[in-house]
Parts: sequence; C-alpha cells; structure tokens
Amino acid sequence: MSSLGMEGTEEAQTPAGDPLALPWDRFSSWLHCICVVGFDLELGQTVEALYPPHAKLTDKEKTSICYLSFPDSNSGCLGDTQFCFRFRQSSGRKSSLHCVLDHMDRDSPVYLKKDPSCFYGYVYFRQVRDKTLKRGYFQKSLVLISKLPYINFFHTVVKQIAPEYFERSDPCLEAACSEIDRWPPPAPGKTLHLPIMGLVIKVRIPTRHDKPGTTQLVDMTPQGDAQISVSLPTIHEVDLFRCFSPVFFHIQLLWELVLLGEPLVVMAPSPSQSSETVLALVGCISPLKYCSDFRPYFTIHDAEFKEYTTRTQAPPSVIFGVTNPFFAKTLQHWPHIIRIGDVKLAGDVPKQVKVKKLKTLKTLDSKPGVYSSYKPYLNKDEEIIKQLQKGIQQKRPSEAQNAILRRHFLELTQSFIIPLERYVASLMPLLKSISAWKSPPQLKPFSQEEFMKTLEKTGPQLTSRLKGDWIGLYRHFLRSPNFDGWFRTRRKEMMQKLEALQLEALCNEDLLIWVQKHTEVESVDLVLKLKNKLALAQKEQLPVSADTLQKLQGQVDTIIQELPDDLQDILLKTTSS
Amino acid sequence: MMSVLPPVRRDRIVAELPQCFKKEACLHTRDSFHPKVISACKQQRTGTVGRFKISKVIGRRSFSRQDMHDNRFCKDVFDKNYKATIGVDFEMERFEILGVPFSLQLWDTAGQERFKCIASTYYRGAQAIVITFDLNDISSLEHTKQWLQDALKENDPSSVLLFLVGSKKDLISPSQYALMERDALKVAKEMQAEYWSMSSLTGENVKEFFFRVASLTFESSVLAELEKTNARRIGDVVRINSNDSNLYQSTKKNKSKCCQ
Repeated sequence: MSSLGMEGTEEAQTPAGDPLALPWDRFSSWLHCICVVGFDLELGQTVEALYPPHAKLTDKEKTSICYLSFPDSNSGCLGDTQFCFRFRQSSGRKSSLHCVLDHMDRDSPVYLKKDPSCFYGYVYFRQVRDKTLKRGYFQKSLVLISKLPYINFFHTVVKQIAPEYFERSDPCLEAACSEIDRWPPPAPGKTLHLPIMGLVIKVRIPTRHDKPGTTQLVDMTPQGDAQISVSLPTIHEVDLFRCFSPVFFHIQLLWELVLLGEPLVVMAPSPSQSSETVLALVGCISPLKYCSDFRPYFTIHDAEFKEYTTRTQAPPSVIFGVTNPFFAKTLQHWPHIIRIGDVKLAGDVPKQVKVKKLKTLKTLDSKPGVYSSYKPYLNKDEEIIKQLQKGIQQKRPSEAQNAILRRHFLELTQSFIIPLERYVASLMPLLKSISAWKSPPQLKPFSQEEFMKTLEKTGPQLTSRLKGDWIGLYRHFLRSPNFDGWFRTRRKEMMQKLEALQLEALCNEDLLIWVQKHTEVESVDLVLKLKNKLALAQKEQLPVSADTLQKLQGQVDTIIQELPDDLQDILLKTTSS
Repeated sequence: MMSVLPPVRRDRIVAELPQCFKKEACLHTRDSFHPKVISACKQQRTGTVGRFKISKVIGRRSFSRQDMHDNRFCKDVFDKNYKATIGVDFEMERFEILGVPFSLQLWDTAGQERFKCIASTYYRGAQAIVITFDLNDISSLEHTKQWLQDALKENDPSSVLLFLVGSKKDLISPSQYALMERDALKVAKEMQAEYWSMSSLTGENVKEFFFRVASLTFESSVLAELEKTNARRIGDVVRINSNDSNLYQSTKKNKSKCCQ
C-alpha cells in the first residue's frame, strides 16, 4: 500500500485489497443511489433511471423524490439549477449501512453525522427549450440520494456528473458509479482525492476533534488546473453571507429563532434560494446541532404537508423552505416567516429595514423581509452589521464576507454554549468514585437553578460583548429541542466515558485472584457480566483502547479455563445478549 | 491544519531526462532537459506547475487489467484477477523532477465501445495522451487513429503530448515484433506521437516509459509557463511558489488577512 505514497487514494484503487468489501460497499458509504427524474406527459414526474440498479427505494420515497426534484411552481428556472432537499425515509426500512461506517460516524462532528431517518437529495435540474419534444422543453433532474449532509461536496459532484449525463447518457452514470465505488470511505480526519468524470476533487472530512472555525483545507489548485482538479475548503458549509444578504439586518434575530427551534418558513422564488437559505439557517448555530426537522425545499406534495401546515395545532419546531405561492396563504398563521425576493444585484447596499408585522403578510406579492413578532433577547450587534456593510461598499470578496459572518455566528454560539458545557462537565462524578466492582456511578441531574447560578460568574459576558437578556435566552433554550438534543448527546458521551473508566478499572484488577476467593456460581456470573460489557463496548464504540479490551478478553478467557470442562463449553458458546 | 502533502518517494525523483525509446518516432531527441527549464527549476521559478493530467486511451474493444501498465507501475504488483474496468480507472502519483514536486493524475479510459461516448470527458484538460494497442493484434493498431481523433476533440492538439504504446511484448516473437514495430513507427510518425513498446508482465520498459512521460509533460508545462510569464513581462515580480508548502503558507496568510 505504502508504495503508492498518496494519502487516501491508495485504498480507492484496491477493491480487492479489502477482502470484506463487496461490490457497491464503497459506493454505499457515500451514496444511497443516483436517480434520474424526468417528466412524462401522462404520468408527470417519474424516476426514469436508478443507479445502482439494485438500489431500493419504496414507492413513497420515489414519489417524494419525484416531487422534490423539480421546481414546484412556475418559477421559470430556465437553464440549469442546483438545489438540495431532505425527506423522511419510509418507516420499516432496514439500516443498510455498513458497520464500518457507523464506526466512522462516531468520529464525525455531531452536525455531520448521518441522519438515521432522513435522506438528502442533491439535485441538478435542467430545463431548456427543445422543439423536438412534445412538451417543447427538455426537463430532467439528476439526483444524488445520500444520508450524508455534505452539501457543498455533493453540489460539486452532481455538477460534474449531470451535464455530462444530459449530453452523453447512460454509460456516463455507470462510469460515475463505478468511480464512486472505488472511492475510499468518508473517514473523518482524512484528506481524500476523489476522481469523478475526469476531475479530482480534494476534500477533507472533518472530525469532531477539529477546532471549530478553522479552515480545513487550503485551496492549492493553480487556476489553470481547474479542469482537472478542485480543492473544496469545506464539504458542508454554505455561503452564509450570500444566503443571509437579503435579510442581513436581522441575523441576530434569526440566530435566536434557530437556536430556540422556533417554527420558521422561508418563502423564496426558487428551490436553490430556498434550500440555501434553510441550510444557512440550520448551519448558523454550528457547532451546535439543529435538532428539529428541517426541509431545505418543501412542496405541497410532501408527506408531511398536512402535519406541518395544520391549524389545529401550534406550528411544529421545524424550518422549511418553499417556493409555491400557495404557501403564503396556507402558512399565514406561522409565527416567523422569511420572504426572499429575486436576487439583488451585487454591490447593492441594503437599506435598514424593520422586522415586519405578521399581519402585513397577506398577499402573494408581499415585500421581501422577515415577518415576525418575536422580540430578540439580545441586543442587535451593530458592529457586525457595520462591518459587513462596509464590506459591501468596498466590494470585499464574498468569501471574505462569509468568513466574517461565519466567525461572528461561531463566537456567538460558543459564548452561549460554553457556560452550559462547563456546567454539564461538573455533573460528572469524581474519578475516585469509580470502582471495578460496582456499576458506574450516576451522573448528577441537570438543575436549571444551579446552572443559572453559574452564569453570574462564568456566563457569556466573559466571551461576548453583546448585552441583553442572556438569562431569558437560556431559560427559553432549556425548553427547546436543541437543548434536549444537545444534552442527550452530552449525557450519552459522559455515561460512555464512565463505562469506559469502569472497564479500565476492571482491566487493572487481577480477576483470577478474585475468582479463587469466590464460588463457582459467582465466577460464572462474573464471566457473563464481563462478556456483556465487552460486547457493549464494541457495539457502542466506547472510548476504550483496543488494548484494554484485549486485556480484559484475555482475563475472561483465563477465568473460563479455571472452571470445570462442562461449564467451559457452555461459557465459550454463550454469546452475550 | 492540514494539507501538507506526502513526501515524494525516492524512486519517483527524476534528476536527468529519461531518453526516448526509438529515435525514429519521438517527441524530441535532446539528451537533457531544456536549459530554460533547468535554470527555472534552479531559481524556483516554475510558476503554477503543480498538477498534470495524463489520459490514457486504450484502443481496443476488450481488455483486462494486464493492459494497464500504469497500474503495474503504481503498485509494483501484477494482478491478473482484476475485473475489467467499467468506464474508467484512476491513479495518482507524486513525482519530483529537478527538485520540483508535483502530482500526476493517470486516467485510464476503458476501451469498450459502449464507453466510447464518455471518453472525451476524461481527456479534457489532459497534458499528455497515451494510446495503447496490442502488439499481437494488428487491427488494434489501426484502431488507435480513431481513438486519437476522439481524444483530440476536447483538447487543443498543439498542447497535448502524444504517446503510442504497443503492449504485451512478452507474447510476441522477435521477428513478428520487428514487423509490427515497423508499422507502429509509421502510425506514430503520422500522428506525431512518441512510440514505445512494453510488457506489463515482465515489466520491460514500464518504468522507463512513465518517467519519460512525466518528464516530458513537466518540461513542456514549465516551458509554457515561462512563455506565459515572459509575455506578460511580470516574470520575477510574481514569484510564484516553487513547491506546495510555500504556496500553502502564502495562501494561509492571505486567508487570515481577509478575515480580520
């Protein structure tokens, strides 16, 4: 392997090198399938082709993909359009993921983990006049279906495949799939060179150990090489500045709405604007994970349409993007609406605008802006607004504006979350309370009052200059789905840590001496318990070293050998439950 | 922070220009690198030269892994059991020539008729195109002309280096080979390609050929780069990195500046 001397790529070339890898395993670690959605005069949108041919989609999933792969309204969209959608997978679908991948998923940052219940669709839609066709138009979408939220990366991939496919047809997809099937798996922390249709895409998959906000990959591609090689500075981030520019006076308010998991709808003129804006919203609280449902592009045909638009219940905690004017009426009762107009010319300095009263949003031709009666807890950060405005006047490049805005959000989110992290870390029992012979000690419960008390001395004022009602914001946040999701993850990690520490403590005991002092029944009991623990450690990928596990397994084997033959047989056969 | 490239393997370092195979059909017969290139490399003025793409065309209807010399080259193994490639195969190699490191992309497009329509996608932007044929099959040599035409559709023919390669030399008798070579040289001259013959089974000429391709590609890219900068008369003012780590540092600096 080392003979290749090329980081990451070597594995890609040797499907035979991994004896356990079956054909399509590598493909499946990146994509579920590739769909071609076309328009049939009688049937409407249909899935015309599916790669690989054995890929399974339920009828319901196919229907969703069909509707979500085409623009929903007469928004024009002449030419080529790219956007992204997300939909629920049918219930009862078996997890088709390779176990190796779950292992990889463990090292992913929480916001890049695979979504167990949803698929992402990365669409490249082409609509051009074609007199030879009955409908007068060529209308087709190439869609990559994946569990991975690598928005920027798949955007690049589908852009590389789709135009070739539209011009050269099927062998193109076959070749593309075969190339993807030789990619190395998306291992966090690795820099990968991924060949696709004559282009090499260089990416780095982030890990959860990365320092948030650091640039992961610097583009070293000389410009002339753009045809053969491209480096992506990020696999998942969208251009926050571009997405927020129609509403950038309200970024503070929007950040709070997203943080608190408030129901939010984006009404945009096109699926690409709708999906980008939703993804930007969801991403603006990074490294915190947005835990409620979000739909970058949502249509009236969606399975959840009724559930999300009903007036009999309060609007659910969800962010979704729509283009169909019909929604303006259906969602009149929604508390927070972002309305985006057609793209403004670059260099246009937006004027200061107020948040609009909801009652003004009645007609289809309502003005762009944010419609909400929400009062932000924190004061507006005038500095960032000024900085960005200055940037617009000075024609600062969009990437630089994006970096400024991204850093602003990151600092804000971190200022907000650090006190919580600190408090939750204090819930961990003392190390000395961990014993080999007792089950791991319990975590102390989360107490809102105690947490609030810590804010006095070690609150966000230490890292943020923003003034306002931080306490109120925390109180609200603690009731939100994002807190719930965040705390669950933390709790799980800490409990796993405790399990791991206990395993280590066990590993350091001489179990054989213990067995000699105890009865046979107790020894058997110990063996069974240890076996269970070992299985759990493997299944849950506990943060224990392989060395510790091996040592413990060795101890178990030694104890078994000390027992009578008949018991040995039984114990060796017993697989832990 | 990442992006520090892996070091170049010692046996991928080229200091002298590898020689051609047959003087009758070669791209040039100089016995060393162009003096301009040598001095540019010494002064670290090689511009943006950093990545090359070599597309390999296999002008046959069906083929197996055995034909893919570059795989033998890259892995130093001979794998008979490899299934036929669907569409395309890809390898990446790091080289260092005259002290300048760069990456070489090797794209193998399949010879199956069905994939012919997509092949030109893979030729796009290639600096060198290698067309192979089976020395034991005269019709495969005839076929190469058609493949060349396809390959050049998406490329500027004047900037592409062409190589015509006869494969499976181990299966042919010396007398038959002499006849075949005569024909092949003629075809190579017609298409202005450099001719080579080799055997992936015995490894004959495999390494020599790839060093030659890498070196000529490098040389012509540096020359083109020098011409470009001279034309712009900015030559030394724009001191473009000579190696990737330098570029890395300068890019990093720029980045942080604009974020302040």
